[in-house]
Amino acid sequence: MTSRQFLVIVAAVQGVLLVALVVLIILNRWVRARRRAQLDPHRVELDAVMQRWVLGQAQSDDVLRALARLPAALAIDALVTWSARIVSERWQELARGLEHQWWARLVRASSRSARWWKRLDAARFLSVVATPHDVGRVLRLLRDSHPAVQIAAATTLERVDSQLLVTAALEQLPFLGPTVQAYYASVLKRARPAVVRHLQLLFRRLNDPRLPRIIEFAGRLQEPALREGFTTLATHLDAEVRSQVARALGRFPHPESVAALSYLVQDDAWPVRAQAVRSLGMIGDPKTLPLVREALRDAEWWVRLRAGLALTRMGTTGRNGLLEAEVGADPDARDMARLILGLSPQALAEFAA
Amino acid sequence: MSTAVHVTDLLILVYFLALNSFYALLLVLSIPEIWEQTRLAEDEDFQRLMQSDALPPITVLVPAYNETATIEASVTAMLTLEYRTFEVVVVNDGSKDDTLDQLRHAFDLYEVPRTYRETLPTQAVRAVYRSRSRTRLLVIDKENGGKADSLNAAINASRFPLVIAVDADTLIEPDALLRLTRSFLLGRQIAAVGGTVRVANGCVVKDGRVADARVPRRFLPGVQVVEYLRAFLFGRLGWNRLGGSLVISGAFGMFRKEYLLAIGGYQVTSVVEDLDLVVRLHRHLRRHKIRYEIPFIPDPVAWTEVPESGRILSRQRERWHRGLIAAMWQHRGMLLNPRYGRVGCVAMPFFTFGEMLAPVVEVAGYLITAVGFAFHLIDLSFALLFVLVAWGYGMLLSLWAVVLEEVSFRRYGRLGDLLRLLGYAVLEAFGYRQRTVWWRLKAFWWAFQGRRAWGEMTRKGFESAGKQVAEQATARRAD
Repeated sequence: MTSRQFLVIVAAVQGVLLVALVVLIILNRWVRARRRAQLDPHRVELDAVMQRWVLGQAQSDDVLRALARLPAALAIDALVTWSARIVSERWQELARGLEHQWWARLVRASSRSARWWKRLDAARFLSVVATPHDVGRVLRLLRDSHPAVQIAAATTLERVDSQLLVTAALEQLPFLGPTVQAYYASVLKRARPAVVRHLQLLFRRLNDPRLPRIIEFAGRLQEPALREGFTTLATHLDAEVRSQVARALGRFPHPESVAALSYLVQDDAWPVRAQAVRSLGMIGDPKTLPLVREALRDAEWWVRLRAGLALTRMGTTGRNGLLEAEVGADPDARDMARLILGLSPQALAEFAA
Repeated sequence: MSTAVHVTDLLILVYFLALNSFYALLLVLSIPEIWEQTRLAEDEDFQRLMQSDALPPITVLVPAYNETATIEASVTAMLTLEYRTFEVVVVNDGSKDDTLDQLRHAFDLYEVPRTYRETLPTQAVRAVYRSRSRTRLLVIDKENGGKADSLNAAINASRFPLVIAVDADTLIEPDALLRLTRSFLLGRQIAAVGGTVRVANGCVVKDGRVADARVPRRFLPGVQVVEYLRAFLFGRLGWNRLGGSLVISGAFGMFRKEYLLAIGGYQVTSVVEDLDLVVRLHRHLRRHKIRYEIPFIPDPVAWTEVPESGRILSRQRERWHRGLIAAMWQHRGMLLNPRYGRVGCVAMPFFTFGEMLAPVVEVAGYLITAVGFAFHLIDLSFALLFVLVAWGYGMLLSLWAVVLEEVSFRRYGRLGDLLRLLGYAVLEAFGYRQRTVWWRLKAFWWAFQGRRAWGEMTRKGFESAGKQVAEQATARRAD
């Protein structure tokens, strides 16, 4: 083949592709517009039926029929949206009804799909309509290789009581980022007793490198039964553990928390001191005022900032402490008091967030 | 003579085939990538998670030099981004206008003592300010040292582990920070992540936000819309699968601060600081055998104003190419070096031989063809066929970028905008492409001369862009 012949072939292929791409763009717009025109009435109908069903003016079979008219992905979207608005008992009725729907069986079967987006659809579907029969599927999705699937599957824990699922979720916790941990904390609320028991066991593994992450998660639960575990860990050798303990204790106004925080506020590591003084401010015990005022003279700017903000949360005595520091002898405390007293309420709220 | 012309022609043809095959590979790889990214972007459960209060905190770095016209609106827009924990560090880089006064007045600034370590060396910091009304805001006033120097000063002052570099005249979409953090939430070992930069010219801008995305009617900014779509939606998505993108836009990219500090921050002598930074990041992470990813995510969007005059555009493109030449030369030790994995063996050769040398080879092709034609060594039909194929390939790539936009994010909903996009994709090959080749060729001359200048960049401002559209709409109604 000569180079001329080769170029002619390339030019011809290019011409065909150019035309095909333009046609594809036009077709894409047309198909989308047509699909929207076809599906929008079904969507509206589903919303109307759901509304009537919520009010007791329609049967769950009507809802199931309306759902079956939509493509599975859109039906799942609708279920996820409506699940947050409907009381649990009625929703369970719908979930049981969906077990026998052909399209729902297909979605359940896709929990074993090789394609992650199919598994994501299954996880999202099960997150709102899973029944005790789905525990095996959810367990598999919870251990999925794709993190988005894992996250969707974790939502199921809000609706399904299963010690097996709770343990599987807790095992994964230390390997998750803080945001995903926070999400797990919110979905595990329902299974709180089982979670607390398991966390108390994990607290005893003092040399476990995952301990800071476990404490961070436990702190988010704000469970009083865990307070004692936190105070025990206040003397842990790892500064990150102490820092997480100091942060968590702010959520437990108790004399033992105050005692542990009074110890931590004198820690060698400044992040621990900063968290401790912040927590003292959250508890707001007037007896700790001298400690917080002392922290306003700390060598580290962040500790002083946290101390200043803590004083604003300690009522009139705290504010008086700031006013005294503003005209006091210590230049660092004076500067910080000026900074805090100069902040607007909005700024204080932003700092507290 | 005849043999020389034919051999050169053949070499150029081989080069053209190899380069275009690689582009075809990127094109194919961009398909599954956009599919995955679109699915994740639409996942409502994930969006609920992204609004959680435990998202990783972020520092937004904003270098500002003579930005009086836009600084208040830009900073206000940045301070109202949808994200739980973030701060904005604005660096006034010795502006000659009243940028600092504008900031001081608008955000009720007060001077605070400098409480951070200067880990990265920068020009002298004159003062540090905090705002009484916005605690998220920190303003640094320093001697002029350029964009890289300002970014280094902002990194020094930043509190949070993730930093995002944003131009002061860039409009970030409200949920862009949330979307950018998606990779970090998915548990990958992310060193940096880039978002999409789109063209703001012609769009309607209200309160520092793009309210209505439009494709500009003027050719020069319009054709850049296609260029940006091609660069981001097709090029960078393809590189995600190859694991070695060398570019994260300086106008909108997020980095893990510990790695930036480890490589000494931005290099102040570089004229294209973003490319240089990412190459050094790759080098550092590969050398230290740290597992990492530098992905591109298409759905977080920032809008930027592109040059509307050929004079300004030529300076910008010449500078970009000069920066590419400098970076490839400086890091030539990585080229085809297996120690750097796919970056050394795929990305560096592509950026050196494909991107950097492309204008040289293209001009050589035009010249050889002209010489061959003048001496009757090549016949006219062959020469025209060659040019047609070369241009046709460029058109295909541009149209593919439009297809990706249409099947994924569809920011330009109007039929008129789509037709304009298609028109620019076709017309780009005739005249505009040759001008960019010339500008990029000039970069070689200036690179050899050791030029470090950035060149002046004048902007119309977003409000005027919006006003222009409004005026056009009024004019149409009057018709």
